Amino acid sequence: MTTKMTVLEALRAGMAHALENDPDVVILGEDVGTAGGIFRVTEGLQNRFGIDRVIDTPMDEKGIIGHAIGLALFGMKPIAEIQFSGFIHDAHEQIMFCAAKYRWISGGQYTVPLVIRAPSFGGIMGGVWHSQSVESYYAHGSGIKIVCPSTPQDAYGLMLAAIRDPDPVLILEPVPLYRSLSGEVDDNGVAAPIGVAEIVRPGTDVTALTYGPLRHATEKVANELASSHGIETEVIDLVSLIPFDIDTVTDSVNKTGRLVIIHEASETLGFGAELATRIQHRSFGYLEAPIERVCAPDVPYSYRVGDEYCRPNNQRISAGIRRTAEYSF
Amino acid sequence: MSPDVIGNPRIPQPIPLERADELGIQQVMDLNGAPTGNLADPGLSREEVRMFYETMVLLRAIDDRGWTLQRSGRIAFWIPLRGQEAVQVATTHAMQPEDWIFRDHRTLSPWLMRGASLELLFAQLFGAESEPQKGRRLPCLIGNRAVNLVQGPTQVGSFISHACGVAWAAKLKGAKTRVLGMFGDGATSRGEFHSALNFAGIHRPPVIFLCVNNSWAVSTPLDRQTASSEFAGKGNAYEVPNLRVDGNDPLAVYAVTKKAWEETSTHGPTLIEAVTWRLGFHTSSDNPDLYRHQQENKLWEPWDPIRRTRKYLAIADWWSDKDEAELLKRCTDRIKTAVERAGQMEIPGPESQFEDVFEDSHWMLDEQREKLLAEVRGGDQ
Repeated sequence: MTTKMTVLEALRAGMAHALENDPDVVILGEDVGTAGGIFRVTEGLQNRFGIDRVIDTPMDEKGIIGHAIGLALFGMKPIAEIQFSGFIHDAHEQIMFCAAKYRWISGGQYTVPLVIRAPSFGGIMGGVWHSQSVESYYAHGSGIKIVCPSTPQDAYGLMLAAIRDPDPVLILEPVPLYRSLSGEVDDNGVAAPIGVAEIVRPGTDVTALTYGPLRHATEKVANELASSHGIETEVIDLVSLIPFDIDTVTDSVNKTGRLVIIHEASETLGFGAELATRIQHRSFGYLEAPIERVCAPDVPYSYRVGDEYCRPNNQRISAGIRRTAEYSF
Repeated sequence: MSPDVIGNPRIPQPIPLERADELGIQQVMDLNGAPTGNLADPGLSREEVRMFYETMVLLRAIDDRGWTLQRSGRIAFWIPLRGQEAVQVATTHAMQPEDWIFRDHRTLSPWLMRGASLELLFAQLFGAESEPQKGRRLPCLIGNRAVNLVQGPTQVGSFISHACGVAWAAKLKGAKTRVLGMFGDGATSRGEFHSALNFAGIHRPPVIFLCVNNSWAVSTPLDRQTASSEFAGKGNAYEVPNLRVDGNDPLAVYAVTKKAWEETSTHGPTLIEAVTWRLGFHTSSDNPDLYRHQQENKLWEPWDPIRRTRKYLAIADWWSDKDEAELLKRCTDRIKTAVERAGQMEIPGPESQFEDVFEDSHWMLDEQREKLLAEVRGGDQ
């Protein structure tokens, strides 16, 4: 039994399922109540579950996360919304050095089952603070998982997985896909496993590894390259970043011998750097080309041209795949 | 050595507790332990006041021993508590055992008064594997769930919002638990202090914010921390009821904390500023000679909470010289035994640091663990 949903509706359905079935689940964040969030992801939930379950907070990211930590320490399961990923940095210490550390620093005595939702990525002409890919800031360190759904089904399943996880989970939500992408969702209350990648498009010549909204652009480019250049690209959506599914990736790279990593975050110390290192270590003997990266340059994100020239566009993704597929020693 | 501090010519003196009334500081005992202050004697029993006194003396003895353990190189770090015994003992007693206490860096009392052992406390100092935090935190950063004592993250003040959040959860879940969130004067400059008071004003959770004002944030004195004449008044901006209390008067601290505890079920939060004085080093890594004189401490000595409480006990005829001699011997013996036992305990192995990062580890950590263990054990050729 499936229901057709947008990504946004799937995220909401996951939260509604949890609110309905677990009295310890609460949502808190800026404008999440009456307004339903500035993107309307939580629309209708306050009416349905009340002001003590869907809570409008002061405009204070470190306060939202700090209080959510307290709620979690006492056995609740808060879902904290950060309005835009670009506003999350005020709460960096609360996330990385409080939420993500309590279990360890207390010797396992105190735990923080906290979900942090961060609407992320470019593609909406948002400029620097409304287009950010923050994964590397949160992947460096310990004690927090990071997931990045970009299909309605993943959005639903990973929302439930994050809520049920006993540790903090950061969900990077794909803003440009919120309403533009819909699909059938099996909304049966089953969580998707964290740490499992998806082969979006099988291929034999080169592996294109990506996550977030660029999964769809990469799939489109791969299909075009197959007909225009005869290049068969295997496209993998990582879906989870911490931990990530290295087996699916290395199986693919060992088969194709070529890897291009595509992400929206800027290049230097982007998550692609970690992926490249780990994968070359496992697949060194199979590689027939240097591991390529297609990322944002190390510049801030322009309101006017960022979506086209900071975020990797289809031309750049295509060039990166061709460069890697056609490379010879 | 006399500090000559450019740009900071006014080295502070202890807040004059003899002017408590004028400064809006609530006080039960005067200098001589007589209950003549602006706050009524809470009428604690003989056993309770004796317990206050005995615990304060034990805390000071632990402080002395901790200091020598650090100076002799047996532990890496020590945070002195000398002079600040009254606040911790009285607030712990005013809270119920099921209430959560987020401690400031100088508070050891909930550990001792709620029944955790002295041996385990010293085990924490030595970083033993079997202490509750598995030897992961610096000496003195003690946390023990068995006694509802939380050691927050080390960044001063970062956990004030966590304390408020726990109280909020208790309210939402209909639990009876209340929360005491302790922090120093420097922590009031942190965003989390203001976040917590702001949220508390709106949602009225059963939390007591306790600012232990000892006049110093490491080397920075009060007038460089805030232009406000007091810390309690900062609660007014957030509609959080607040008060100042003589932090060297355990009876006053008990009375105001007990009242705030009772009021958690009516109006919710209270901000208490307990006025005390840091006698010495910020920590064992500090050198106070760089920024303060020792002579200011002379002004404080008559207000020593142990000295005053002893006088109160004497007035009531609840304490004898024999009691004193027995107490000192008991403290010495207990500490000696605890140090001997704790010093023998196992420290954690290298694999221990991989535990509790997550409830369930994942392959990235597993791979790092196996590699590290192979390298340090010489098994990796």
